[in-house]
Amino acid sequence: MNSLGKSAVVVVLITALGGFAGAWIAWNSDEPTSHYISIKARQYAFEPSVIRVNRGDTLHIKLISLDVVHGFFLEGYDLDAEIFAHQKSFNIRHPSKGKEWSEVNEFTLITNRRGKFRYRCSHTCGSMHPFMQGELIVQPNTPFHASVGGTLGLFVGMLWIFAQRRKTRLFDNGEMSAPPDQSRRAGDRQAAPH
Amino acid sequence: MSEFVTETPEIEPKTVIRKRPRPKKEPTPVKGFRLDLFDWIPGLKKFVRLRSFQFLVILPNLFVFHILFIAGIFGTPVGNKNIMIVFIWILWWFILIAVMVPFASRIWCAICPMPFFGDWLQRRALIKVRSGKTKGIKNKMFGRNLRWPKRFSNIWLQNITFLTMCTFSAHLVTRPIVTVGVLGSMVLLATVLALIYRMRTFCNYICPVSGFLSLYAMTATVELRSKDTDVCLKCKTKGCRTGSEDGWACPWFVYMGKLDRNNYCSLCMECMKSCPNDNIALNLRPFASDTQIRGYDEAWKGFIMLALAMAYSIILLGPSGTIKDWANVAETHAWGGFAIYTLILWSVALVIVPGIFYGCILLTRRLAKATHIPMKEVFLGYSYLLVPLGLLAWIAFSVPLLFVNGSYIISVVSDPLGWGWDIFGTADFPWTPLWPEYLVFPQIALLLIGLFYALNHSYQIGERLFGSSEAALKGSIPMGVFSVGITLAFLKFFTG
Repeated sequence: MNSLGKSAVVVVLITALGGFAGAWIAWNSDEPTSHYISIKARQYAFEPSVIRVNRGDTLHIKLISLDVVHGFFLEGYDLDAEIFAHQKSFNIRHPSKGKEWSEVNEFTLITNRRGKFRYRCSHTCGSMHPFMQGELIVQPNTPFHASVGGTLGLFVGMLWIFAQRRKTRLFDNGEMSAPPDQSRRAGDRQAAPH
Repeated sequence: MSEFVTETPEIEPKTVIRKRPRPKKEPTPVKGFRLDLFDWIPGLKKFVRLRSFQFLVILPNLFVFHILFIAGIFGTPVGNKNIMIVFIWILWWFILIAVMVPFASRIWCAICPMPFFGDWLQRRALIKVRSGKTKGIKNKMFGRNLRWPKRFSNIWLQNITFLTMCTFSAHLVTRPIVTVGVLGSMVLLATVLALIYRMRTFCNYICPVSGFLSLYAMTATVELRSKDTDVCLKCKTKGCRTGSEDGWACPWFVYMGKLDRNNYCSLCMECMKSCPNDNIALNLRPFASDTQIRGYDEAWKGFIMLALAMAYSIILLGPSGTIKDWANVAETHAWGGFAIYTLILWSVALVIVPGIFYGCILLTRRLAKATHIPMKEVFLGYSYLLVPLGLLAWIAFSVPLLFVNGSYIISVVSDPLGWGWDIFGTADFPWTPLWPEYLVFPQIALLLIGLFYALNHSYQIGERLFGSSEAALKGSIPMGVFSVGITLAFLKFFTG
């Protein structure tokens, strides 16, 4: 493998290592708990706009619309709802299992996936409808922490490459003697009988 | 009696400050592989040499543009049900930023219908060339053909027009009539300016889209260049710059002998026809090959783009209803909030991000012991980092726009005006986001690619500026911290 290939491998490894370290540091093992959350929808926001829970928690969720008909599509959990203005009940379905709606007053969700999942309005509700969304953050947020670790790892890896390049340049310019292992190898080659 | 004694200050030997010689405007030496696509793609050269080339590529776009305008004016005001909003701000935007710019440079400018009418009036021809003389150009041009004022011959106006337009982005990308108004004004202005000023003055100095295309086209994996600059230097006609009986003079005033960046080449291919020496190549090249920012206007375009990507990530993709209300002032009438939002946006884009960058540059100069190198040179040199960082952040931002809301495209093609038509039987196609929970992964990968290029270039720029690998290494630390900070901010928006 040439030096460019080696450098690439080292950078990828350090980046990956950073990613694993980030995910590991953020790991927690809190006991699962239950949360009772009432989400209010209005043009063009959900309240609360951010919900932070731990993996394995049970969420009991009620949906209420304060103005017009809204939707509630929770990505990653195969869940879609239709919320009518000022009504306690709402319609719910699992999009992967069909188009049929069921009318409920509350639904329960166990947060078995880690990361950030958006809940978006799925029913056209006005001009800013495509951007009406909230965030369910399930801790440990592995993708985020791993990507932060990976970013720092990439930085460290690149600095390592620059340091290697610097050494090579100094050596090429004669401003630095050959590294010990390299001189030894050069000496070996000279000494080797042909 | 007191005596005034004036101490004669000891005269120190004058420090001789040697001015660094101004770098000659020689084309930057080419780095990395180049592959002439005219040699590799059969018929491509023949096609771009057709006199009708530009007309042929603009024509379909012009047709679509008219349909979009009709839909924008007469169609439903609900953005996601109107083909104008869905096609422009979901489909066109994604193709432009994620495909055209990184892989085809400014190809959009070659097919853009906005300057069509201006060009037509200026040339009074759609296809043929008019020989003649017009103020140093060997083509007959109509209109007044005045020179654009020199003090505005930069992209500052584009920076301001773009920032202004983006301040109202919550309206622009959601309301068809606002998009009609903005694009219509651009067509009108391009046409009027073509009658007063020479060539494509609007595209060169005012078009808000052109500004960021010029910046990010530096990364593109294709370039139009002369095969041999010596041939250009010896060329007596300079047909590319001045036109000939076979081709119009470059509408962007580019002389191929000195063209060494993609920034101001719109790939209109007129030079392919006017070059008497067959000396032009369309090269495939490595990503991010042009690495020189040549003015504060270009550097600030980088800051503005970065700040806008952050702002949009918060306003459009973020959860905060309050900020959406501020940005959506026409509906909410939250004028106080809109003022705060505008002030923050403009401050971040024009002062705060550049200020942080300036601080990192000061640190870089100190660490690299390069205080003798002019600040401007170091600032502009490193400001190239904003290009890969910004472009990849914009692509990452645009990924959910297409994958989450792309299904609207399927429904609006059947009912483009939102009038209840069902042309292809897909009008009732439901909103179907594609793998929304997995989109963070390509977003993370894109941000890391941007960071990789920024870090790699920070070292190369350091070597070029300081002439020493030691100084380049030290200099890359503050610039690396800046780049990492920007990347972490976007990671927080998208995944945190």
